Amino acid sequence: MKKQEGLIRSVLYKNLMEDYTPFPLDKKLAVKWAAGLNVPRGGRVIIYTSYMYQMASVFKSYEKYVPTLGSLGKSRILASIGSRFIKPSDEDVERSVKILQNIYRMVSRVKADVGYLYEEEPYSGSLLYELGFLDEFKEYGRKVLQFFREKGVEEIITVDPHTTNTLANLKKYINFDIPFRNYISMIGTVKGSGKFVMHDSCLYSRFLDMYDTVRDKAKSAGIELIEDPTVTGKGVGFCCGGPVGPLNDELSNNIARARAAALKSVYENVLVACPLCYVNLEPYCNVRDLAEVIE
Amino acid sequence: MNWVELISMVSAGNYNEVESILREYPYIVELADHLREQKMKVIENLGTYVDITMRNVEKLGGHAYLAKNKDDARKIAGEIVGENKTVVFSKTNAAYEVGLREYLESRHNEVWETDLGEYLVQISKGWPTHIVAPALDMTREDAAKAVRKIDPSINENSKVEDIVAAVRKFLMTKYVKADVGITGANAVAADSGAIALVENEGNIRIDTVMPQVHISITGIDKIVPTLRDAMDEVMVQAAYAGIYPPTYINVTAGPSSTADIELKRVSPATGPKDFHLILLDDGRMDASQNPDLKEALLCIKCGRCYFSCPIYRILGKDWVSTKSPYNGPTGVMWNYITNKDPWPASYCVHSGGCKEVCPMKINIPEVIKYIKYMGSKNL
Ligand code: SF4
Repeated sequence: MKKQEGLIRSVLYKNLMEDYTPFPLDKKLAVKWAAGLNVPRGGRVIIYTSYMYQMASVFKSYEKYVPTLGSLGKSRILASIGSRFIKPSDEDVERSVKILQNIYRMVSRVKADVGYLYEEEPYSGSLLYELGFLDEFKEYGRKVLQFFREKGVEEIITVDPHTTNTLANLKKYINFDIPFRNYISMIGTVKGSGKFVMHDSCLYSRFLDMYDTVRDKAKSAGIELIEDPTVTGKGVGFCCGGPVGPLNDELSNNIARARAAALKSVYENVLVACPLCYVNLEPYCNVRDLAEVIE
Repeated sequence: MNWVELISMVSAGNYNEVESILREYPYIVELADHLREQKMKVIENLGTYVDITMRNVEKLGGHAYLAKNKDDARKIAGEIVGENKTVVFSKTNAAYEVGLREYLESRHNEVWETDLGEYLVQISKGWPTHIVAPALDMTREDAAKAVRKIDPSINENSKVEDIVAAVRKFLMTKYVKADVGITGANAVAADSGAIALVENEGNIRIDTVMPQVHISITGIDKIVPTLRDAMDEVMVQAAYAGIYPPTYINVTAGPSSTADIELKRVSPATGPKDFHLILLDDGRMDASQNPDLKEALLCIKCGRCYFSCPIYRILGKDWVSTKSPYNGPTGVMWNYITNKDPWPASYCVHSGGCKEVCPMKINIPEVIKYIKYMGSKNL
């Protein structure tokens, strides 16, 4: 494990400092959602995806990729992307396009002229923070802050819990002073339907104080949420297993399986509000993202 | 039932139990908040509180020792106990931390754990799974198989009641001949040198009264300013462990004593003639001076955070044990404090449930993040 951690740190750090991405990724796929909507390039206010929805399945399998990434030179890695190496499936890409387009439309109803940095968007550095590489996290965070400033960004709208939490920690550690907000707490009246048991994102519910925000948004949209305090209570909410994936895929899957079993004991359909929760739980239960059921 | 199913069931049970206790006895939450403040006062000034505590233990006619590390603690206890004695242990994490049972056994002493769960762990040569329920991973069948070694009338069809009775019968023969009783302490009152212990089985009460020598070994983090705080700590610990009211709360202040003649307090009386308190440092003093780590010392070992932890609920004792008697989220912190081992922290998925359920409101994920960071410096 120690070896794996060391390898991840060097691969991550190297890629981020060179390219602003955690691994070499196909940016055409990552920006596809925005091209379809003619989202303005750049701007004062930006929507910040940090590649989370687009690359969730790759993040999940990071453990698998890291040893190869660590041993390959950059040109060979890039070549292998071209030959379908580190790439989400078409189905995953299409899903993320729909989700991000829906989020953008909901955000646009309350905020005009929201832009996007397209291929230039930097990854937030969540993985560095979550794996405890705090020195590298701070260093990379300063680089990201500087980049946003150079691009004239004055306000950021996040779409997932990991990026939101990362910005909150950059604020704490390096005085990241660009205001940011999560889309769920800013969108206005939305419509939705369905009956679900909510699997809370750990970060939204227990670190960003959004346990009620997410529920209220879903319920006000018309979604019925089934609760069981021993499964969906704030203190016992459990994790999807995602964060330990880069270190131990099997452990991550075992957590996901146990969580899915608990959720299914409450109701058959599960609602999440995080791309990593989705990819982790999806093999074990029927799961939808909040941004797939409200509009 | 496999471990994951078992712990899911137990966790839900604990959650409901604690919630109902807190509804029925709302003063517990107030006690917990006050206790946090009182414990913080000690952490901020640990050296002074250790001195005050030791002075007050001596004033009562007891003996107090400060053990710097595991080796020190084993030696101090070893000298008090001597060789070829019968020793009864009640569940004590500090003793586990220093490997005291094995050490005393190596010095030709007969040593028995008397807490039922701990006893089952001992006779099956295992390692505690949970800080409050050491044999949590053992089924009735597992327990029967273990107890059959000391009572052939027990078999896989025996009822839980019969298994418990067989252990009781066996341990009674050890209590009556025990020379030394060794316990931990849930809290140590600096103002009086008294220790407080909470339990349900009654074994601690016997261990602290029957043998003529009582040794309490506990961490310096267990010191609280006053005896009132010590009583608060045992009540809060019991409530958050999910058993309230606890069946027994024991206070020991020095060796047994009487003031029945001319109201003059003399020792010993019926109970132990000697009381020894071994206060264990083993990394705690350093932790109290480390702003990123010191909150961990607030832990009252109620074991509630274990149930909220996804990693513990999958890995069980394979996570932190057998390096440390402390497991789960608090175990990650305590294994680092006492063994300087950062690696179990790497698995933390920062689910954050631990901090939500902790009666001491310890920001456990934040402490673990620091430990992860310290580990990453050595990659
Ligand atoms: S960290 Fe908190 S919840 Fe966990 S054992 Fe200690 S006091 Fe109990």
